[in-house]
Parts: sequence; C-alpha cells; structure tokens
Amino acid sequence: MKTKHILLSLLLAAATLSACNTLQEKISPAGILIAGTAVEDRVDMSYNFFLKHYEDNVILSADEGGYSFLVGADSHVTTDPGRMDEMLATGLDENDLFYVHLGDIADTKAQYYITLDSLLQKAKARYVDRNYRKIDVFNYVAITNKDEDPATSTYDEIVFPFFPVVGNHDITRNGWALWSSIFHSSFYEIDVIVMLPDGNFAVDHLIFMDSASGTLGRTQIQLIEQGVMNGRYYADGYRHTFVFSHTNIFRPQFNEFASTFTREETFYLLDKFEEWNVTCVFCGHVHMWDERNYNGVHYLTLEAMSERNNPEPGYYLVRINVNSDGTVLWEPVKMNYTPNK
Amino acid sequence: MNRFSHAFLLPGLLLLAVFGANAQTYSGPRQFDGVHRNEVSGNLALGYNVVSGWFVGQAGTYTRHFTDRWSLSAGEQVQILKWLFSADVMGTYRLPFRHSSLYFDARLVNNVYAQWDQYEIIANASAFWETSHFDLRLGMSFIHYYKYKVKEEYQWFTDAGYTEPPTITFGVGLNMLPRTSSWNLGLFLRNYDQFYYENWNINWGLRFHNIIPHTGMKLFGEFNIRPAGSLSQLATRYETSLKLGLKYAW
Repeated sequence: MKTKHILLSLLLAAATLSACNTLQEKISPAGILIAGTAVEDRVDMSYNFFLKHYEDNVILSADEGGYSFLVGADSHVTTDPGRMDEMLATGLDENDLFYVHLGDIADTKAQYYITLDSLLQKAKARYVDRNYRKIDVFNYVAITNKDEDPATSTYDEIVFPFFPVVGNHDITRNGWALWSSIFHSSFYEIDVIVMLPDGNFAVDHLIFMDSASGTLGRTQIQLIEQGVMNGRYYADGYRHTFVFSHTNIFRPQFNEFASTFTREETFYLLDKFEEWNVTCVFCGHVHMWDERNYNGVHYLTLEAMSERNNPEPGYYLVRINVNSDGTVLWEPVKMNYTPNK
Repeated sequence: MNRFSHAFLLPGLLLLAVFGANAQTYSGPRQFDGVHRNEVSGNLALGYNVVSGWFVGQAGTYTRHFTDRWSLSAGEQVQILKWLFSADVMGTYRLPFRHSSLYFDARLVNNVYAQWDQYEIIANASAFWETSHFDLRLGMSFIHYYKYKVKEEYQWFTDAGYTEPPTITFGVGLNMLPRTSSWNLGLFLRNYDQFYYENWNINWGLRFHNIIPHTGMKLFGEFNIRPAGSLSQLATRYETSLKLGLKYAW
C-alpha cells in the first residue's frame, strides 16, 4: 500500500510539474501528445513575412471568362510523390488560375521536402513556359499581358500560384523549419481581380489560416479581430471570399480519431465566416469527404489524396469554377495515379 | 493525421482503470452516505481562453436523492467575459458493485455562447464506475447547435442547425488516497467538463477536496488544462482554468 501511495504521489508531482508548462504553448500530459512549433511562433513569423511583402503581395488576375482553381488535401508526400505530381499536372493542364493544398503536404522528413520542392520547381518551369515569354536573358513577360509596355519579371519574381496551408503533420518535430523554408508563411490573404464582361471588375478574396494546431491561437485571433485578414477591398465589398484551413469544422463521422476545433473556437469561426460573407470554406485533416451548409456558408471537407491512405484511383480533388456571371460551382476531380506495389 | 498511433490510448485507459479496481471503501462521487437527501454545491472559476481571453464564472448544482439508488440534479453556470450561460438536468441510477459503484447518468445540457449567438443542446448518456482510487466514465453524447440570431434580419431560431455525429464520452480519474479519506488529491483526464462535451480534445489536470469537520461541508477545487488538438499530436494551449467550490449536504 505504501509503495502504491509513493507511486501515486510521484505521478501527481510529475503532473504538477507538467502543468506548469501551461505558460508555454505546448502541453503534453504524458509525453505522448507532442506538439511541434507552437502556433503563436508560426503566426508571428508568418505575419512578419506578410507585412514585409505586403506591397508586392500576390494579386491574381482573371479574364472575363471567369476562372477556376483546384484544391487538394493531405498528400503526405513520402518517397512516392505521384499524387502530388498529378495534382500539379492536372491544374496546369486544365489552366486553373491557382492551386490550393489544405495541409499535411509531406510527412516530416527532409528527404520528402526535397522531393516536394523538386516537384514544385518542375511545375513552376512548366507554368512559366506556358504563361510567359522570355524577352531577354533575365526577363519574362506574361503572354496574356497585351499592354504595349508590359510589365516584366525575372524568373524568381514570377509566382507559381500554388498556395498551401499548414497541417498538423507539417509541424510535428521540426517540420515547420522544412515547410516554412519552401512556403514562408502559413497565415496570409490574396486578392483575385476579375475582369467583368461589362468592363468593370470584381474582387474575390482568398484567406489562408494556420489551424495546424487545432486552434488559431491567441495571436492569430487578435490579428483577425484587428482586421488583418479583411483584405484591401473589404470596405468596397468582396464578391466572393474563400477560406482555406487544415483543421475541419464539421466531423463527417463519429469514429474519426482526429481533433476538430474546440467548442468556443468552432462558434467563433462560424460567426467570423458569416461576417466575412464567405462563399466556401475548404478543410482537410480528417481524410474524409463532407459537404454542408451552415448559415449561408458552404463547407467542403476533402478526402486525403495520399497514396498511402487512398491507393486506388478516386475523386480526391475539387475544382471550383467561378463563372463570369459570379456563380460558383464545384466538381470532383479524379486522380488516377496508383502507387507502385 | 495519424489514426493508428492513438488506437491504444482508450484500451490503455481502460486497463488503467481495471488495474485499480481492487476497491477499498465506497463513499461516492457526491459523498452520498445513504442518510442525507439534499446536496448543493457551488464554485467560482477563473480562467484564460485563447478565443475569449480572461473569464470569470460561477456554477451551482442541486441534487436530490430520492432513494439510495435514484437521484436527480440540476445545475447552472455563468461565465462572464466568455459570455457562456449553461443549464443542465441529470438523472442517475446507482448500482453497487462489490466495493465500487456503477452510476448510469442521463443528462441534458443547454449552452448559450452569447458572444457568437450560438445555442447548443447536448444529450449525454454515460456510465461512471467509481472505485476507491480510480474512476472511469464511458458514454455517448449527442450534440446539436444552431445560430439563434441572424444578424441581418434579427430573426430568432433559424433552421441553420447542425447535429454532430455521436461523440464518445470518456474520462478517467486517479486519487492519491482512498475516497473515504477526509482529503484527497487526484488527476483526471477526459474529453468533457462540467458543461461541455468535446470530441477528441482532451482536458486534464489536478483536483482536490477537503471535508471541513463538523459543518457538513466540503471544499473542492480543480486546476484544468484544456489543450486544443490533443488527438492530432498537437496539444497546443487553449484554455487554463482554476475552480474552487463548496459542497453542502443535509
């Protein structure tokens, strides 16, 4: 009995010491629940990057015919990047204006990120070949730019329109160092300027949130409340707003062993999406399809495109068509790649 | 997401509870001694939440024991600055089992998250097994919520509701001393708290109680850590709170 009490006392002491960690960001009661880089650190870094590059922040342009974009989730790239390669090829072949990845892009190993970076570089080269014309040794001009004196860009200045959000597997261990070395920022927004048939233009808004830790964290919420993600044209009114988050809001099934947002944060986000007048929120994380509407906002949760999770061909991507009349339609996109057995 | 790495957690917790099942003496979660009929308890809370910041609150519960097996309780909670208002009713049947007790609880919880105009109703059915040093709760929650006010039109009770898939309820507790002791210190780990039920976000912490001699009162408290993303290998700070309360039986 005495030994039992000593053991229990030791357990309590360990718990008390562990509890003191609440002043830090990472909380692990038994050492089995391990966080990577804390969300506050990631958002601080991302926001600094966002501020630094605000003036030359990406603005996408779409012509009168409308535009489309491709969304995929949870590729978990390891040694076989077939599905990731297929997503990029599909987007390029179908002339999607941009491509979004909803997190858990690669499992945390430097080798996998080298593979991923190589894929992205190849895709960018193909994108530049298709959309830009080389005018001298260093400079390119967009083929679609019909101005008499078109703006020129160097190869490095050309933005390959692949925009990811960070997922929980991207930040385990030292994953953030690998992820951020390629993508730099996990919390940002982008405007899409759309020329309308009547000569006017409309602006659509893309918001990318860092929800990899299952919470946005205090800093990100405060920045959102300060209007940082409202965008340049918030006062004029965006036509459509699309939000991208790794962690899902709604659970597709009861037997899913994956955390969603906590109660208050769920309600905060539902309210915020309504305030932003969001057209559609895209989520990943649970590796399971879900579609629903809540208070006028559409929510799509995507299946995993990972070869390991879904080795058979299937509809793991979603293409969103934003038509010239402003209507938005989505369609499932089939992936055919099957991993080597 | 890693589905399989956590597959051993629940069986592990169950084994932990079974290991501790060599019970000592029953005294009950509400310290019910088979004589008194009424219990009232109240607590104050102070905490910090990532979304709402600092908050203070109070909660109270009244329990009526109709027999030594059947009881009914009702409770309320108000958390200022988080602007959370809660109320619940719970019926319980107690089944003595050797030196332990098995409780079957049926509960209805209402929460109003006024800051975001969301109303949540939870039906929970669970079994609570209490031994001398360990306790275990397993059950199921059914959660429905909707926005009760549409900002543009100020139209109450819209049809924009959502019913979550059934949510498993689980929790374990570990006490340093037998429950018969006049004071105790323990650990808990669970996916619910007094007025909320999460899915895979686990909260955990320390609890204590101390019977105040000759008063029929018990002082109790809880230090609760509520991380976000617990079962996605994330466990990042979300909410920390401290509760301190008194329970009186007559």
